[in-house]
Amino acid sequence: MVFYIKRTIREFSQGIKGIIGLFLNILYWIFLGPLKKRFIRAESVFYQMRFAGLRSIVLVFFVAIFTGIVLAMQSAYQLEKMGAVIYVASLVAVSLCRELSPVLTALVVAGRVGSSIAAQLGTMKVTEQIEALETMAINPVRFLAVPRFLALFFMLPCLTILSDLSGILGGFLVGTRSLRINPYLYMQTTFKYLQLKDIYTGVAKSFVFAIIIALVACYEGLNTTRGAEGVGRATTRSVVISFILILFADCFLTAIFYFSKI
Amino acid sequence: MKKEMVSLVGVSKSFDGRKIINNVSFDIVQGETFVIMGCSGSGKSTLLRLMTGILKPDEGRVFIKGKDITTVGPEELDEVRKSFGMLFQYSALLDSLTVNENVALPLKEHTKLDENIVRIIVKMKLSLMGLREFQNHYPAQISGGMRKRVGLARAIALDPDIVFYDEPTSGLDPVVGGVINRLIMDLSKKLFITSVVVTHDMSSVFRIADRAAMIHKGSVVEIGTPQQIKTSDNPYLRQFINGSPNGPIDFFREDLGIFEELSL
Ligand SMILES: Nc1ncnc2c1ncn2[C@@H]1O[C@H](COP(=O)(O)OP(=O)(O)O)[C@@H](O)[C@H]1O
Ligand SMILES: [Mg+2]
Repeated sequence: MVFYIKRTIREFSQGIKGIIGLFLNILYWIFLGPLKKRFIRAESVFYQMRFAGLRSIVLVFFVAIFTGIVLAMQSAYQLEKMGAVIYVASLVAVSLCRELSPVLTALVVAGRVGSSIAAQLGTMKVTEQIEALETMAINPVRFLAVPRFLALFFMLPCLTILSDLSGILGGFLVGTRSLRINPYLYMQTTFKYLQLKDIYTGVAKSFVFAIIIALVACYEGLNTTRGAEGVGRATTRSVVISFILILFADCFLTAIFYFSKI
Repeated sequence: MKKEMVSLVGVSKSFDGRKIINNVSFDIVQGETFVIMGCSGSGKSTLLRLMTGILKPDEGRVFIKGKDITTVGPEELDEVRKSFGMLFQYSALLDSLTVNENVALPLKEHTKLDENIVRIIVKMKLSLMGLREFQNHYPAQISGGMRKRVGLARAIALDPDIVFYDEPTSGLDPVVGGVINRLIMDLSKKLFITSVVVTHDMSSVFRIADRAAMIHKGSVVEIGTPQQIKTSDNPYLRQFINGSPNGPIDFFREDLGIFEELSL
């Protein structure tokens, strides 16, 4: 028992150290690499953006629109008792933009994109492709991790905004069809209470989540050992660890935004 | 006196307290084909990783073209690496890139050559390997022997002085193995490339080696020309050449302790 706790603590501190090291390494290649004429290839960033972004759009859209629908019905159930059904509009919009969109989108992307990054890099590691890159004097972090990091960093906020809009659309459908709120009034109430800061705190969160997903997935992938089983473990671990860190970071960031009255 | 291309001086390496490479020293001179032979698990791949700077030795020094790669910084190490190529045991081609893109990769990363020139060089390297029709295939779509040849084309893309080969013929049928051996010899004789070949295939040792070293449990047990190897009465070598299960190389001896373990 004590042995397991000791081992877990050791693995945890090793992981944190490794992830911070990877982060610094990525930042080095983004900001200092170009000064030394070691550039990041734009085409591989775009390729990863297509992979991470475009192909997640449909999934993010559906997750958000259903969340919007459910959120509208659940809040209507409460608000009807107070005769304040119209506030469904603002409740849906604000809770989506501040909280649900960034978190749900990040979880979806961690499950869909993060896992596949970990699996791909893990397979490359156990089949000596990473070692081959190193022997060819091609830094694996610059060549593999940086494009994936940048792609997630730019695409996750875009997906989050898409999720905001789809969620509001879901709420709008419930509000105007089932609750019979005037569509014009619904939109007016939405924008009356939804402030710009609600949107940008959500987007700010999603930048942090993107960093978490990319770092965890790349770290787990690049540190895979022990063959096919190791690849499976790296994939699972990348999802589980991202989920925990995303929820933890969300709690932390929400507290900061709340107490500093942003 | 020919120039030393690769020199190992008292190199040792342990993993988890187990000594895998034990005080290995040898020099490989320009243009020669140096074969390192030994059984599976004797530490051949580890030795190659030490020579390519993937691993750092615990003790000793590794010189590539006179530069000590155990003490250089990462940027200098990369400069050294551009002057050698490596063929991996399972080819290690990037599976998301086509054959063409794999061979072009070192050129695109390390030279400022025009795209058309890169295309021509890639075509030349691939036709040297007899692979021109397969340019647009992905590694998963071609056979193991072809993958080895693509790996070789990639290894020589930057016209290296040294090429390291990790078991270039293992897992191939004898004919394809022969083709690979011929390519290794061609590169060494025509382009004057220094070759370091790791193998456990005796027939290729006699076919391609200028000199060969036998390692066992991470130590060099014999080193010499193929003729000296053939006539040596070193018991390790005799057993290895004859493929005999009995002799000083004993896979079971390590397990003798099992009886004590079982009767606790
Ligand atoms: N990274 C590593 N960690 C622990 N042990 C290793 C590592 N790499 C190699 N070994 C051990 O070193 C020994 C030699 O391996 P290797 O050099 O691959 O042998 P060969 O290529 O001659 O078959 C094996 O027993 C292997 O278990
Ligand atoms: Mg090996």
